Amino acid sequence: MDNLTVVGKPVTRIDADEKVTGEAVYGYDLVLPNMVYGKVLFSPKAHAKIKRINTDKARQYPGVVAVVTGKDAPWIHGESIRDKPFLAQDKVRYIGEPVAAVAAVDEDTAEAAVRLIEVEYEDLPAYTSPEDAARMDAVAIHENFASYRKMPFITPGAGPNVCEHFKLRTGDVEQGFREADVVLEERYSVPIIQHAAMEPHSAHAQVDPTTGRVTIWVANDAPFRALHEITEALDVPKEQVRFINPLQGGGFGSKGGLKVEPVAVALAYKTNGRPVRVKFNREETFISTLTRHGAIVHVKSGVKKNGAITAREMTIYWNGGAYAEKSPTVCIRGSLPAPGPYRIPNVKVDGYAVYTNVPVAGSFRGYGIPQGAWAVEQHTDELARRLGMDPLAFRMQNVFADGDTAYWGEELHSVGLKETLQKAADAIEWGKKIDSMPGSRVKGLKIGKGLACIQKPTRSPTTSSAGVIVNAKGEASVLAGTVEIGQGCNTILCQIAAEELKMPFDKVRSASLDTDVIPYDASTTSSRSTYHMGNAVKGAAIDAREKLAVLAAPMLEAKKEELAFADGKIFLKHQPEMALTVGEVVRRKFGPEGTVRGDASYTYELAKDLDLETGHSDNASAFYMYATQAAVIAVDEETGRARLLRMAAAHDVGKAINPLNCAAQIEGGLAMGIGSALHEHLVIDQNGKVRNPSFLDYHLVTALDLPEMIPIIVECPEPQGPYGAKGLGEPGLAPTPAAIGNAVADAIGARVYDLPLSPERIFWVIQEKKKGKAA
Amino acid sequence: MKKKIQVTLNGKKTELEVPSHRLLLDLLRDEIGLTGTKEGCGTGDCGACTVLLNGKPVNSCLIFSGELDGADIVTIEGLKIGPEMHPVQRAFVQDGGVQCGYCTSGMLMMSKALLDENPDPSEDDIRFAISGNLCRCTGYAKIVKAVQDAARELRNRRS
Repeated sequence: MDNLTVVGKPVTRIDADEKVTGEAVYGYDLVLPNMVYGKVLFSPKAHAKIKRINTDKARQYPGVVAVVTGKDAPWIHGESIRDKPFLAQDKVRYIGEPVAAVAAVDEDTAEAAVRLIEVEYEDLPAYTSPEDAARMDAVAIHENFASYRKMPFITPGAGPNVCEHFKLRTGDVEQGFREADVVLEERYSVPIIQHAAMEPHSAHAQVDPTTGRVTIWVANDAPFRALHEITEALDVPKEQVRFINPLQGGGFGSKGGLKVEPVAVALAYKTNGRPVRVKFNREETFISTLTRHGAIVHVKSGVKKNGAITAREMTIYWNGGAYAEKSPTVCIRGSLPAPGPYRIPNVKVDGYAVYTNVPVAGSFRGYGIPQGAWAVEQHTDELARRLGMDPLAFRMQNVFADGDTAYWGEELHSVGLKETLQKAADAIEWGKKIDSMPGSRVKGLKIGKGLACIQKPTRSPTTSSAGVIVNAKGEASVLAGTVEIGQGCNTILCQIAAEELKMPFDKVRSASLDTDVIPYDASTTSSRSTYHMGNAVKGAAIDAREKLAVLAAPMLEAKKEELAFADGKIFLKHQPEMALTVGEVVRRKFGPEGTVRGDASYTYELAKDLDLETGHSDNASAFYMYATQAAVIAVDEETGRARLLRMAAAHDVGKAINPLNCAAQIEGGLAMGIGSALHEHLVIDQNGKVRNPSFLDYHLVTALDLPEMIPIIVECPEPQGPYGAKGLGEPGLAPTPAAIGNAVADAIGARVYDLPLSPERIFWVIQEKKKGKAA
Repeated sequence: MKKKIQVTLNGKKTELEVPSHRLLLDLLRDEIGLTGTKEGCGTGDCGACTVLLNGKPVNSCLIFSGELDGADIVTIEGLKIGPEMHPVQRAFVQDGGVQCGYCTSGMLMMSKALLDENPDPSEDDIRFAISGNLCRCTGYAKIVKAVQDAARELRNRRS
């Protein structure tokens, strides 16, 4: 591994130049010839029957090309449960649901016409809390839920709104609680937040009037999955739809699934071949795309005086919003490891994904891990405190290590968790009491330290396929369905291709993404790309290299086995001056426009589905990611304001393909985690209305809100990963709020159970403690 | 109502006939076709649409075209110095200050405005200057470093 030339090096991003010059074209920038402009009428009601829609005035408005309602688009889509109409059918289920849409010659006309559509509603009871909606006697948000088409792994719950009930059953928790010296039961909550990628959502669609073929231009993070979902809904063959991915201005999970796409397609069927552009502005993006699941987490644990954990029982309510989208899989894959990366003999988890009348929750960086970690990692500190143990020592005693069998039945390997714990703790001088930080103006404030750790699985089994094309100029092009959403995948994949082709990095570039020509990839999600697509690209590059060797052998009058590759050349191992450039080999065989192509697919075939009754699998994930983050915080007891002084984040990435990019991912994840810890909250009132759908009121972290950040890369290699790599994108924000919560508790001597850790919330906890009420 | 205006856009005198209520952001993106300036919110809260108006950074989503007669406007497309990247552009590339890139144009224009005014900014100065430019990807650390490096490069060139 030591002879790597490009992999493991901090090369700069291949897409940076076009981004710093403004030349990069994003989905939101895209202009198509002869296009018309779509605008959407959104539901103002959280839950209501549609009594009547009158579109006459809109249709007659000058410049209007098409008006559509649910009647014109009778299609239902959904990834694991087919429950979501392209446009509302007969009823609406959240404020922000698309009800009707207009296409017109310009934006102003479309907007004016949309306002002329009249809709009469009849209100139904609306739920905003998943605990309320999960009750047996709740009103069904989806009356026909039983008849919806569902993926085979879906196990609906008993109440009418529970679209998934995940169960984990290991040992006997009651017995475990009886054996314990200390039993602690707590309730934590996480609010709904939003991805808030800087590029708002948009989609362009066109229907060929002759063939009926649909082309969709959209910055979707999983174009092949979106293609599957939309062709299934339209009931057309896969070949009838094509996705083209323009550049994506951030995603974090928000740009998977179908959001704007169905509206654009519904309009495109009515514009006689003209392409339709539908852009959501920021407010529309807030109310009508996707959010992160709010969650209510109950956790109960038993521990012995010697620090052993005897049992853990958890009940988690995931607020799925009005449609299932990814709620079932977030519930399953978030609830499974929710008890934390600890050896626990008796574990019981019930996860409920619940329909409510709020905007739809989807995938969000971390996929259910942050919600569980917020509860369990603070709970872990509370257990340590009751035992009189140091929280780091308590974790070191109980966390997973190589060879341990996790409570879902899988023997673990390549577990870098303890190293992340130690390195993150060291970076904040764990155990060293501080009254003030040098150089900061925090005298008189309460200072606290905290840490939290996580383990995260990846979606398994999944497939990635890739192609690598080498041309006669000695350049290579990587054909991969991984979407560049800012995470740097194109750079990483080109590094891998360059490494295997032994070509200079600057000769390798990424092809743009079009489902007509790019090989299949499951999705750009779940931190799966470096591992899965990395393996596929590595295989494709090796395939191309082998083909080049076969071509070069007669040209160099040698056997294939006698050849070696380096620096863009093929040469004889024992006579390096006998060499040809890669481009020359291609040119001699196929001429100046010739190419040689290599292909490969990668599937993690060993993965086994979770048992539906016990949640068990002896191979649940292709790999696991491990991370520990540690925080130092200063809390002003007079105001409740918490100011972070330092955060360290140690992440086990297996192998850093690009250390610069790894650090960038960790810092970005930290910042997002800090925002979700201290102020982010999509405020939804009791009527289901989002009260802060703007960047003025939804507080993202700014450059002034962040502390010193220390990214730490730990490399505990994964044998099946390319060069030992695992994944990194998602864990960056997963332990952050819990680490900060633990630091706040350390500072003020009382715990805050609900996010965000706003000054008001901390202030009242301090007041309660002063009154002697808080624990 | 349309109005004739004359502006200097990225160093070139340009005559435009635009509705007075058209926002500068839409004027640039939709009518002139300069899509390097990004729309993140349309309400002046994110800074993605920052351009230089008479040398000062502004949110172009808050400026009406009717006010622009005689104005000097520089967008991201005008940041290069001839064929050469501006040092702040180069520093963003080198230091990893770019991820998805959607905030980058606005961030660069704000950084240039800072460096024009203050050739030797402290870290706090930089963080304050870009605090109205939201970035969801980077956590700002590498952006701050890039602005520091660009400042150093510009100072070296001057001396």
